Amino acid sequence: MTEAKKTTGLVLNIQRMSTDDGPGLRTTVFLKGCSLACSWCHNPESISFHKEVQWIETRCINCKTCIAACPKQAITDTGPGLSIDRSACDACGECVSECPTCAMEILGAEWGALSLADEVEKDRSFFGETGGVTVSGGEPTAQADFTAAFLMHCRARGIHTALDTCGQCSRSALETILPHADMVLYDLKEIDPGLHKRFTGAANDKILENIRYVAGYCADRNIGLWVRTPVIPGATARDENIAGIGAFISANLHGTVQRWELCSFNNLCRDKYRRLDLGWEFAHEQLLGRDMMEHYAEVAKKSGVDPLIVHWSGATRMELKTAENDEQSEKISSLGRETMRCN
Amino acid sequence: MSTAAAYKIKEARGLSPRISWLRDYYFKGAGRAWNNEYTAWTTGMPWDVQFDEMSYYIVPEMYAFNQTFRSSFQQSARNVDLHPDFWKWSLVERKAWFTREVMVNHVPAEILPGDLLAGARFNLQGSRCWNKKEAAGRDRMIYGKKGARATMKWFHDHGYGNSGATSGHLIPWYERVLKTGWKGIHTDLVTRYNSLSTSEKNGPRGAQLRAMMTAATMPRDLAYKYSELCTGLSLKEKNPDRKQELEVMAKNLASAPWEPAENFWEAVQSLWITHMLIMSDENYPGPGVSFGRFDQYLLPYWRKSIAQGMDRDFGKEILKCFWFHCNTVYDAMVQVGNQGITSGFGQLITLSGMGKDGKDLTNELTYVILEVIDEMTPILEPKPNVRLHLNTPDELLDAVVDMISSSQGAPFLLNFDERSMAGMMREARRADIGHLINEKNVHDYAPVGCLENTMQGNDRSGTVDNNINLLKAVELALTGGKDLLEFTDMITGKTDPVKQDGLRTGDATKFRTWDEFWAAYASQTRYLIKKCVSVYERSERIRAEFAPTPYLSCLVKGCAEKGMDVTRGGAEISFVTIEGVTFATTVDSLLAIKYLVFDKKECTMEQLITALRDNWVGHDILQAKAKNRAPKYGQDDNDADAMASAVMDLWTEETWKYRTKSTGRRFRPGMLSWNYWVGDGYVMAASADGRPKGQFLSNAICPSNGADVKGPTANTNSVGKALGGMSKDSAGDWNGYMNSLPNGASHTITFSPSLIRDPEHKAKFKAFLRGYARNGGTALQVNMIDADMLRDAQQHPRNYRHLLVRVTGYNAYFTAIGRELQDEIIARESHKRY
Repeated sequence: MTEAKKTTGLVLNIQRMSTDDGPGLRTTVFLKGCSLACSWCHNPESISFHKEVQWIETRCINCKTCIAACPKQAITDTGPGLSIDRSACDACGECVSECPTCAMEILGAEWGALSLADEVEKDRSFFGETGGVTVSGGEPTAQADFTAAFLMHCRARGIHTALDTCGQCSRSALETILPHADMVLYDLKEIDPGLHKRFTGAANDKILENIRYVAGYCADRNIGLWVRTPVIPGATARDENIAGIGAFISANLHGTVQRWELCSFNNLCRDKYRRLDLGWEFAHEQLLGRDMMEHYAEVAKKSGVDPLIVHWSGATRMELKTAENDEQSEKISSLGRETMRCN
Repeated sequence: MSTAAAYKIKEARGLSPRISWLRDYYFKGAGRAWNNEYTAWTTGMPWDVQFDEMSYYIVPEMYAFNQTFRSSFQQSARNVDLHPDFWKWSLVERKAWFTREVMVNHVPAEILPGDLLAGARFNLQGSRCWNKKEAAGRDRMIYGKKGARATMKWFHDHGYGNSGATSGHLIPWYERVLKTGWKGIHTDLVTRYNSLSTSEKNGPRGAQLRAMMTAATMPRDLAYKYSELCTGLSLKEKNPDRKQELEVMAKNLASAPWEPAENFWEAVQSLWITHMLIMSDENYPGPGVSFGRFDQYLLPYWRKSIAQGMDRDFGKEILKCFWFHCNTVYDAMVQVGNQGITSGFGQLITLSGMGKDGKDLTNELTYVILEVIDEMTPILEPKPNVRLHLNTPDELLDAVVDMISSSQGAPFLLNFDERSMAGMMREARRADIGHLINEKNVHDYAPVGCLENTMQGNDRSGTVDNNINLLKAVELALTGGKDLLEFTDMITGKTDPVKQDGLRTGDATKFRTWDEFWAAYASQTRYLIKKCVSVYERSERIRAEFAPTPYLSCLVKGCAEKGMDVTRGGAEISFVTIEGVTFATTVDSLLAIKYLVFDKKECTMEQLITALRDNWVGHDILQAKAKNRAPKYGQDDNDADAMASAVMDLWTEETWKYRTKSTGRRFRPGMLSWNYWVGDGYVMAASADGRPKGQFLSNAICPSNGADVKGPTANTNSVGKALGGMSKDSAGDWNGYMNSLPNGASHTITFSPSLIRDPEHKAKFKAFLRGYARNGGTALQVNMIDADMLRDAQQHPRNYRHLLVRVTGYNAYFTAIGRELQDEIIARESHKRY
């Protein structure tokens, strides 16, 4: 590390006792700002590199303090609720600091790498032998110097470090961060370059190139690498995509990927889009059925990878079931994903 | 959605027909032909009393019934023919004789179908055995404006808390009974009595030892009676297996509990008879008469019987009969409902934990008992408490987490050794009893009642006798020593004028600095504790003088040695605990006052006091700021948690300063809130943390409802810090750990079941528990939220701001997501499918 490197970053959220962002119990640090803009993104508030203000209606007591506090007159009472004029709002935070109920919230806060490491260290007793910190996003490689500095501080304290990335970054960003990571979680969302561009705003050539590099790096140093694939209805949830990603892993990353997680589509973020005054093409999309996720897991297992590395997780659609089916479904381990990250 | 697929509740499983029958029979409650309802017995004197209201002074729900219970038991009591010398004896001798007479010769003895243990009826309302003068003297101390009852009621009505000398709440010296039999105890009493001088024999020591000698024969004679009953039943029994069981039972009872136990069956039989008679002796069913380290002292008998060929499942069968019997305590008022008027009994058993040099003592019996718990659950008694520590084996943690995952939360409380032992060592140091509690034996502590830590067999520390609302001191500091609101009695409609009850700490509206306010608060805290001590003294004195328990005294080390009843402070370790209630509400209120009035100047002190008098009505914005913007305890925020430490240090240090006058018992601090945080929320005025009158207070050492927005690990860290955290510059109270509360502190955390949905996630939860042992408190109740709670969260979102739902492993604040999705999550929780 040279002293010139940036050691403050824009942090969206610090999630303690996170159970689905790598092994063990972890503190996940979500950075703000992403190099992709996936149409299904579960964390739309993590995409922009700028601070944003949101209004949480369930906390509001309609005191209108915020309206008076706003120097830009960007907040209006529309009757059923408040409206923020996004073109006028510069996220100055006046309304946020005045709001008595914390219904006005600012998304994004500056953190120093050292103080962020202090914050993470608070849960060190719970990390045990396998847990630690995961830096996620947004996209941590987009704040590479900060991420590297932060992970370095964590690791210096003996905390296990994981980088969770979409891979849409420069090689040098990876080179900056990887020396400070004990494992990597890497998203492979879509194998077809054209569709990847359509879904995420960028083709996948750089992502695929980078994961070859990362896999080599991990293999040489015996660092864990997990691949994660969001299974999105109407987008990535296609046999040929899952099989294609599997074939890619098998051909290029063989033996290095310890785990490949298929993460089912999650619609719990609907309200987030609404709060940011954003439309969402998946707003009315149903969750996938359990049978569908099981099917994609089968496709993955037959794609050429070691079947033991395939896991699936996440919410599935509720179906009316008899008590008997209930018994059965209890035996199957399904589950688990975090929306506070970008897929 | 199909209603047929309503969410799953844990059910009992793997029970034999015998145990299924007993368990089902128990749950028939009032519909049973047989029950263990109170029977009342009298000396026949017109002044006689059975029901002792003082045991219920800590149960505000009972206040309205004190007189009713007294007179109805009096009216229904049956006469007992007295020994010709009865009225010549001392009170304690009368009491010993009377209880023995009733239990052995009057209360019916029955063996239930298939039952492997004798000892069915024990719930008693026996005569207090007072002569006329004693009865009058005692009533004078209870009744009247300055009497114990009025004093206690004033204390509660005005929001200070509650106080009363309560029965139970100790771990009797059961191990000794198993090892030496009651014969050994009796022989020891005789030896001690014979070594007294004539004048001592004629004095209180002699009377006490004579009474205890009488009491010590009660279990023998009752067991003989049951033995004969079993013999009679075996002669009539046609089923050869049952016949043989009854023959063995007859043999067991002819030996144990008088003789040392020779095998597992005898040991459990001996333990049960010994235990149930305490409840007869105290006229009080089950409250905190706890078993201590059950899997340790029963282990030699288990191993011996297994070596001699006892079938493992039959051993479990004996234990399940024991479980059945423990539940019959609730029969005391069975006509009122299945569980009488309260389900708050706590016959704790302690499992696992640390031994000498930090060695783990989990053994095969620990796992056998966990199986019994799992197979019998849901059932209320006995309440298991599993002791965990840094060296707890993975195998035990696996079993614990599996049981949590299948039971909508833990069917037991988790006790954490390192922090608990630090508290016990603090107690030893503060009270200078290093000869009784020290590095060599502190690992043998065990909890009673709910989670209150004591030593075993020689310790009565009055763990529920005093419950003070720490918050009252904040109110008095705001008003300069007066109630904020006037009190109106709900029944009489009479209003007490507001008086200068507390100290004159000055006009808070004139305070210019936070330090001035803190000084006023500190003074009022000292007053609050002093007041509690003086209220308690009345009932302690009355109990010491009028309510001896000679049988129980046989089972508490120190009583025979001193020739002193346990109610007079006979136990070697004899503290009275003050349980601090409303801790987080107090801390948050102080933080809010500091933040609103002094740091941010959001309002003046006068405006704040007005808002509190108005119960926040018309002060919405200020209330919102108090609730949402002021710092809170429970978020692992070092500044806020420093306030928690300051509050903790202040009240605990003050508590150690006092002793009871009548019995010389030292006060010690703890934090158990039982259910007061709910009921007293309606008694106490609005508080500066934004809570209106009528809303719940905080529970024990838990953060306020809605405050722990940083999740379970942050919550845990705050609790650990409030107790003292880790020592920075010395060895701490024990191995670096600090703990201001020897009694321990109740801590509940609610999780979503999805957190432990599969083996991988169970391992993560184990990591949490190991972290808790390092950073957390003394005792943890793990709850897994269910759909009902989520529905309530939907209705009352402000109470559940902290509620994390991990549907899909996604950590969302339940109340921050839309209604439609909430419904979906509820449906998912209902189906345990994610």
